[in-house]
Amino acid sequence: MANKKMNNYVSEEKEIKNNNETKEKNNIILSIKNASYRYSDAEENDYALRNVNFDFESGKIYAIKGRSGTGKTTLLSLISGLERCTEGEIIFDGKSLKDINLDKYRNSDIGIVFQSYNLLPFMTASENIILSMDANGLKVKNKKEKAIELMEKVGLKEIYADRKVLRLSGGEQQRVAIARSLSYNPKMIIADEPTGNLDKQTETEILDIFKKLAHEENKCVIIVTHSQNVCDTVDVIYDLKKVKKESDK
Amino acid sequence: MFILKNAWISIKRNKGRNILIGIIILIIACACTITLAIKNTAVDLIDSYKNAYDKEVTISFNRENMMKDFDPSQEESRENAKEKFDSIASYTISDVESFADSNYVKSYYYTYGVGLNGNNIEKAEIESNNDMSNGFGHRKEENMSSTDFTLTGYSSLDAMSEFINGTYTMSDITDNAWDIAFNGNYVFINQELANYNNLNLNDKIKLEDEDGNTYEFEIIGIFKENEEGNQEPMSMFSNSVNTIVTNASAVTGITKSNENLKSTINPTFIIDSYDNVEKLQNEFYEKGLDKNFVLQTNGKEATSGVSSIENINSFATTFLSLTLIIGGIVLFVINMINIRERKYEIGVLRTIGISKLKLTMQFVSELVIVSLVALILGAGIGAVSSKGVSNSLLANEINNSNERTEETFKNFGGPNMNFENHDHEGTKNEMRGKGMPVVQAYDSIDAVVDIKVLLELLGIGLSLVLVSSIASMVSIQRFSPLTILKERS
Repeated sequence: MANKKMNNYVSEEKEIKNNNETKEKNNIILSIKNASYRYSDAEENDYALRNVNFDFESGKIYAIKGRSGTGKTTLLSLISGLERCTEGEIIFDGKSLKDINLDKYRNSDIGIVFQSYNLLPFMTASENIILSMDANGLKVKNKKEKAIELMEKVGLKEIYADRKVLRLSGGEQQRVAIARSLSYNPKMIIADEPTGNLDKQTETEILDIFKKLAHEENKCVIIVTHSQNVCDTVDVIYDLKKVKKESDK
Repeated sequence: MFILKNAWISIKRNKGRNILIGIIILIIACACTITLAIKNTAVDLIDSYKNAYDKEVTISFNRENMMKDFDPSQEESRENAKEKFDSIASYTISDVESFADSNYVKSYYYTYGVGLNGNNIEKAEIESNNDMSNGFGHRKEENMSSTDFTLTGYSSLDAMSEFINGTYTMSDITDNAWDIAFNGNYVFINQELANYNNLNLNDKIKLEDEDGNTYEFEIIGIFKENEEGNQEPMSMFSNSVNTIVTNASAVTGITKSNENLKSTINPTFIIDSYDNVEKLQNEFYEKGLDKNFVLQTNGKEATSGVSSIENINSFATTFLSLTLIIGGIVLFVINMINIRERKYEIGVLRTIGISKLKLTMQFVSELVIVSLVALILGAGIGAVSSKGVSNSLLANEINNSNERTEETFKNFGGPNMNFENHDHEGTKNEMRGKGMPVVQAYDSIDAVVDIKVLLELLGIGLSLVLVSSIASMVSIQRFSPLTILKERS
């Protein structure tokens, strides 16, 4: 088990469960290089995230853990292109996120799964998935058929396709959210506490889906989590430490 | 396509709110259709009224200039004024023709007057020993005071202002009068003069000048002067009793055959715009018009009758503005509420990669779809209601417009006369063809909601939608999807 310090203040690679660095270094899909983030209304040295350096490879499942306030969600929003780094940069598939259309990035290259599912409640399960295909501009003859196929892939039967999502359980909604994120076959799945609202049994089932996506479909799966169960499942864990202010040093 | 599909799904989902928006836009569309229809009709009526009056310029004395330094109590001042008056150079037919040859003048006409005595007819006059106050008086003497009759020649129908304004009205006229009136020695005489001399249509009268030359004319019409035209309260006869109306070329013939005869010429120039009057006046001065003359326009007269229609027009404008302001504010507020309620939806859609532009287009599309349906319905309801509302609001003006047409027509011997083989409209058209100034009339306002109104309504509706969509546009630009989703969590 490696214990490698990543930088002075912020983050360190805690453990690598599936260590095969030489081979997999070539598979890097996302690199975070000296990324820092400060909220626009924060003081000059009040960073939410400071000098983060992580690499993510295809075919692996990652956990980003850390205590509350360490900047996990901030990091996720930077990776998912919902925010931009204040300093440093994030490289996806060889291109800096600064140079690409982030809307296109979000509806083509990555899939995002949230703790609270973030499905549109007035739509059915299949409509939520189809909406994502539409946003991507995916040309599929029968989008509903494709949606049902994706639902079955994440363990949801066809009968759920026409149900309004509010009539589904938390686990079912999360499966729909995962199916939605897979609708345009992205290279990377980013999940923010995806099992936070679920029971142990369902959590294990959802994690199995993520493992399959990483190990069988060569996707890079990044999970932001508090859960030890998740940490036990993933290939690599990145542990975020709270940023030390200059005055704390 | 996906934007429209999503917009349509959202409309169906938010039926209640969209019906409310639709009703508000329908009311606005209805009000706009009616007010636009009233406005357009009022503008048409105003134009029609103003077009009934040509933009006319006449030459008159510059009295202000003449009266300058004049003190009637001083003999010397009175003498100077007389000298000044006598020294004013009059103008001739050729001067008038020269004046009319201007870029500012569209056309012109004139009356040409000459004084003649009766040869086989007598001047209508009752001598009285009493002064003016005791009843039968004699008519006021005019320019041609030393002669029995004033022969007034008109250059065209337009020049016959006394008939147009109703001072004179034809009481009897030959069938072909208007075909020959401006081409030969034909006259219209006053009914009182006809009665006095026992004259009828087609009778011939002879007039003579002071040198004894005689001129023969055939009577083709008899006119009477209306009560309002008689300015002499104590006179037995009307002012025009000894006025004989003919054409200008007949008078020109007389003045050419005897150059010693005193004549008066009153030209009227039709111009394109009142703005050019000053330039035209300077041009006339350069062409030799005495500077004691000035040009006068009929501008005030042309606009005096339209004030009530202009009031309705301005009321419609105010009503339209208020409707749009209030409607716009209500729509804006509803949109603001709509956006706040749909913040989460915006957050999700932005997160899955729908761009701000597409999202804005979706929200605007929703409003445009609802608005178009409401605008079509509103225009339909407005079109049905506007006819009644417009006709009732403008009823007086419609009547006045009709009356003006009919009255002018009657003055020239129109509907009251027995025009054989001519129906009423045919005669009217024939007289229009001869240049008769017949005012356009409105029997009712049927075509109030026309393509112009519909296009204006569409423009107003879409502008309103866009303005009230500003709330959603700005919000979508400002909202951070992450913040929205955090708030939701």
